[in-house]
Amino acid sequence: MVSNPFSTRFTRPGRIEPLDEAGRPVDVEGLLERLRDLGGTAAIVGPHGSGKSTLLASLAEAIERRGGQSPRIRLRSWRDGLAAWRAISQSVAGETVCIDSWECIGPATRILLRLAAQLSGCGLLVTSHRRVGMPELTRCGTSASLLRAIVRNLPHYPDWHGTLICEADIEAAFANHGGNLRESLYTLYDRFEEGPRRIRAVVGTGPDGHDGSDGGHHGIHEFADGFSYAGAPERNLG
Amino acid sequence: MNTAADRGPAMPRVEVQFDRPHRQHEPRDQVAVRYRIEGCDGERIHAIEHSVLWYTEGKGEEDLGVHFFQRITDRAMMPPALTAGAFSTPLPQSPLSYEGLIVKVRWCVRVRLFFDGSRDFVSEHVFVLGRIPPARLSESRA
Repeated sequence: MVSNPFSTRFTRPGRIEPLDEAGRPVDVEGLLERLRDLGGTAAIVGPHGSGKSTLLASLAEAIERRGGQSPRIRLRSWRDGLAAWRAISQSVAGETVCIDSWECIGPATRILLRLAAQLSGCGLLVTSHRRVGMPELTRCGTSASLLRAIVRNLPHYPDWHGTLICEADIEAAFANHGGNLRESLYTLYDRFEEGPRRIRAVVGTGPDGHDGSDGGHHGIHEFADGFSYAGAPERNLG
Repeated sequence: MNTAADRGPAMPRVEVQFDRPHRQHEPRDQVAVRYRIEGCDGERIHAIEHSVLWYTEGKGEEDLGVHFFQRITDRAMMPPALTAGAFSTPLPQSPLSYEGLIVKVRWCVRVRLFFDGSRDFVSEHVFVLGRIPPARLSESRA
């Protein structure tokens, strides 16, 4: 049994470190200072799959580490505006409501939500694909170097890099998806899946179809130990 | 993977021993584990959670189900007074472990340590429920 290091479990927002376009760690504390200077309300702007949600999750965690509250909502359609409204109306002064995919709701709803946030005294930190009339906290962009840096940080990188996944795979995934990191990681997931199965197809399997592994003692799977909420899906979102 | 542990305090270690060889279990079997906690370096643990759960692993949305959960907050049961523990539970009929291409179903036992200062440490150990053969790529793709 081998875990795929490109699965959502290891790449979802909150699991990977936010990196800038050059692949260097983002100064999360510096961004929090900037958010405060902007009055507590700002947008993270960038195209699809550029790391906005990852950065939002890191900022929300940093706010909580400082003792603050940062309820998180992921919008999927305009219908989720009500969930955002609830989160804002239940917040108190000083909290920062984090809303992913802010552009999913219409301009009128956005204005109402901003008014509600002003009334309750809470801040709003949102992600959006385009400018939405809020101060811009930062702009996310992608590069092949960034994708390589993300891949380097995935579990047990030395065990599979250069064998199951090569540099050429990473470059090709980035190029084929026009710089969309999420889609690139999905493609690398597929590539990783193909590797061991290709090997099994050559080596063969036992009579019961198992590949002879001992149920998980070997291979790449015992990397779930760690601080924070390792392994827990984003139940707090949406 | 970079975790807070890489940048901060020492990483605790939870060694888990299953009662079955190869961590292979059948539906309705009892899964029983013993564990040992090391490397806490005197940090005070105020709660320990034991759980047995399944989760999906793959691309896109994830799912999970908690089959067994136990939270221990009794000070007398905490390290360093006690550095080992055990728990067991009967397993259900489903979902069975599955090694698919797009999605996998995994079962695991999880020991979670809660330190003072809202820090927690999770140790997760996979086992297999059932005997569904792993998915294989078709000849043309392989």
